[in-house]
Amino acid sequence: MEGIVLALFVCLILALITKRLSLPSIPFYILAGLLLGQSGLQLVASDAVSQFLTQLGLLFLLFFLGLEIKPDRIWHNQSAILQSGLIDLQINGLIGFLAAYALGFTLFDSIIVAAAFFISSTAMAVTSLIENKKLLMRESETIVWLMIFEDIVLIIFLAFIGTTTEHPLIILAKILVVLGAIIAITHYGKRYIISVLKRDDELPVLLTFSAVLGIAALAVSIGIPESFMVIAFGTILGTIDPIAFELHSRPFKDVFLVVFFVFFGISVDIFAGGVSILAIIAVSLLAIGSKLLSGIAIGKVIHKSSSSGVEIWSNTIGRGEFSIAIAALYGSAVVSGTIAAMVIVTSIVGAFVAKYSQNLQGAMRKMKKGPPAPALPQVPAPAEEA
Amino acid sequence: MGLRSINLPGIGTKYELETEKNDLIAIFFLKSGNIQMYTLPHDTPQPSVVEFSPGEARRLGTILSGAIMEADRESVEIAFSALSDLRISVHTFVFGKKMAGKSLEDLQVRAKTGVTIIAVSRGDKNVINPPPSFVFQAGDAVVAIGETDQLKKFEREILVG
Repeated sequence: MEGIVLALFVCLILALITKRLSLPSIPFYILAGLLLGQSGLQLVASDAVSQFLTQLGLLFLLFFLGLEIKPDRIWHNQSAILQSGLIDLQINGLIGFLAAYALGFTLFDSIIVAAAFFISSTAMAVTSLIENKKLLMRESETIVWLMIFEDIVLIIFLAFIGTTTEHPLIILAKILVVLGAIIAITHYGKRYIISVLKRDDELPVLLTFSAVLGIAALAVSIGIPESFMVIAFGTILGTIDPIAFELHSRPFKDVFLVVFFVFFGISVDIFAGGVSILAIIAVSLLAIGSKLLSGIAIGKVIHKSSSSGVEIWSNTIGRGEFSIAIAALYGSAVVSGTIAAMVIVTSIVGAFVAKYSQNLQGAMRKMKKGPPAPALPQVPAPAEEA
Repeated sequence: MGLRSINLPGIGTKYELETEKNDLIAIFFLKSGNIQMYTLPHDTPQPSVVEFSPGEARRLGTILSGAIMEADRESVEIAFSALSDLRISVHTFVFGKKMAGKSLEDLQVRAKTGVTIIAVSRGDKNVINPPPSFVFQAGDAVVAIGETDQLKKFEREILVG
């Protein structure tokens, strides 16, 4: 228990510092964990309490993701979402997978690394657009829909990636049955649920908290991935009153997510055998370059402009909460270390690049012009001109 | 004039207005509660940005909605934007000798003009909502409220006539 308290107060200080400096706090929570835990001073170790709290953090992160998915809104913007999203997926997924496999990861681990490699941090992208006052850029909407596409890919990924002995069709059938039941309950119980949410006492918070945990427990008991079910649950509840559910789940998400990040760092052994430190560095650098490649491709396709691509890249470099979630759920020790390093490097680089992206684009335009052409010799005007 | 609104996941609601001169104005109601307003003149590459708290945004909105139409000498016209097209004028008049000794009831102000006298300032004293029995003296500053036409009628028929 002392470990949790120490870790949380370190995170509190780090949060104050990072907010002041307008830096993303996620990488610093992980760094704090690395420093306090296995890879560092070994002052703090995971225990049953911290494991439960980190699990809550993960659940509420995914629930929040679900609340943000609005199927009808996505449907209306599907062409924008698909175009940019598929480019993003193909380039980053492929590079991530090939890099990991070439560096000696197993097939399964390479898939995990590729997924973590592909998914940018929605929290960082959104914060970057708002804090750097970039919402009016035409690229900002592209970035937002890109994040939605990645969320959808994550949902599909989590539904099927689980290491299970059961046939995928059986899992799919179970998922459909549970989803159908949830949809039916929320449809017929809508007015009742809304009346509970409107109360001024503790019931709305209790309803939200227990419902999320209940769904997760149910998913575990019948053998379907609880991460997928919690997201789907958030999406379904988001059709009732997303603002109320968001309001009541946010404190849990914010606090438990910090615990999740710091204890992820604590439990990671970044020097775990198998893959060298150079491989970790290589993956991190590739993660930066890969998003640049996909960003420019998207910029050219959607906005007919490479500098738009640089802008898209600068706001989507940062890997973050979802990559760590994937590592925590399915990553081996070496995968977790690699992903942790990638998240730290890309998110810090991303924060600086996003802040100075206008300068980058200016420099890019200058380079494109090249050295000025030598001045042609002056030809005197013809004298015969009347 | 094209107005476009879109809900951006994770960010909030965006309203975008293009003027006849192709200048762009965009307002974002962020999930945090704050509002960001961007303006982008058609001949400028970089937008200008300002961020408001909700209170500040409401004050700006009140101004832009035309609530403060004119600040004439001791006269203000207020439009209550929550009630469509309700416009009320407030004017201060100084009563002369002609009005001295007469009560509010004697003057029949509201019956004749529709104007309501809501306050009287005499020396260092203010009387809010004077009763019908209130007797005026020369030099009283009187605050009257009503429609513009009603105030003109008040001036014409009560003060002068």
